[in-house]
Amino acid sequence: MAGHNDSSVSEKKSSQAVDDLPTFSVENMQNNMKVIYYSRTFLSIIGGVIAGILGFTGFAGFIFYFLIMAITSVGLMAKAKFSVHSYFDSWNRIILDGFLGGLLSFVLFWTFAYDIVHIF
Amino acid sequence: MGLGFVVGVVGVVILSHAAYSTIQYRSLLKIMEEEFSGPPMNVVVELLLGLVLCMWAALTVPGNFLSIKLDTDENRMVSLPGNLDFMIFNHRGKVFSSEMDMKLKI
Repeated sequence: MAGHNDSSVSEKKSSQAVDDLPTFSVENMQNNMKVIYYSRTFLSIIGGVIAGILGFTGFAGFIFYFLIMAITSVGLMAKAKFSVHSYFDSWNRIILDGFLGGLLSFVLFWTFAYDIVHIF
Repeated sequence: MGLGFVVGVVGVVILSHAAYSTIQYRSLLKIMEEEFSGPPMNVVVELLLGLVLCMWAALTVPGNFLSIKLDTDENRMVSLPGNLDFMIFNHRGKVFSSEMDMKLKI
């Protein structure tokens, strides 16, 4: 009886250990995240330059940033061949990650390009 | 890698040319004493072209996505030697002299 209980407990433990193990390749996941960060950062900079040249001020520039990031998300999904779960563990990775860091680069280059083109 | 990088450089050059055209347009407006309402049409076209080229570069240059599933073809062979429990040093293959042994003896 006691042995049976022990075995059931150990089974439980082993099943928990199996649950805790990551069921995807973490290294490849980090590689994919790095690719996404590069893409988003570069496109934030480019979007900032374009917004500055077009002369957006105030709220319109932020709307333009959202537009650029939406297009980038669609492009990244197309790059992942629309099977997101074979390259990432959740949708947030491809839609939200790198959003705020990109926003800071965007504002920096937006003001930079606007100053160069429209003020000086 | 190389092609995408060149496309990105071309996109950045197009964007800088668009910026230069806008600066010229503003100085023209200053001479004609008119107000700036929006960038001219050729600048908008250049900006769109540069955006598309840079978008293409940004999506191709950083590298390809690797599959995170453990049972795909490229991940199976990598994960087996990574697990130390599967390393076997004492097996019947050592009876046959391999090229590795010949190199070691020499």
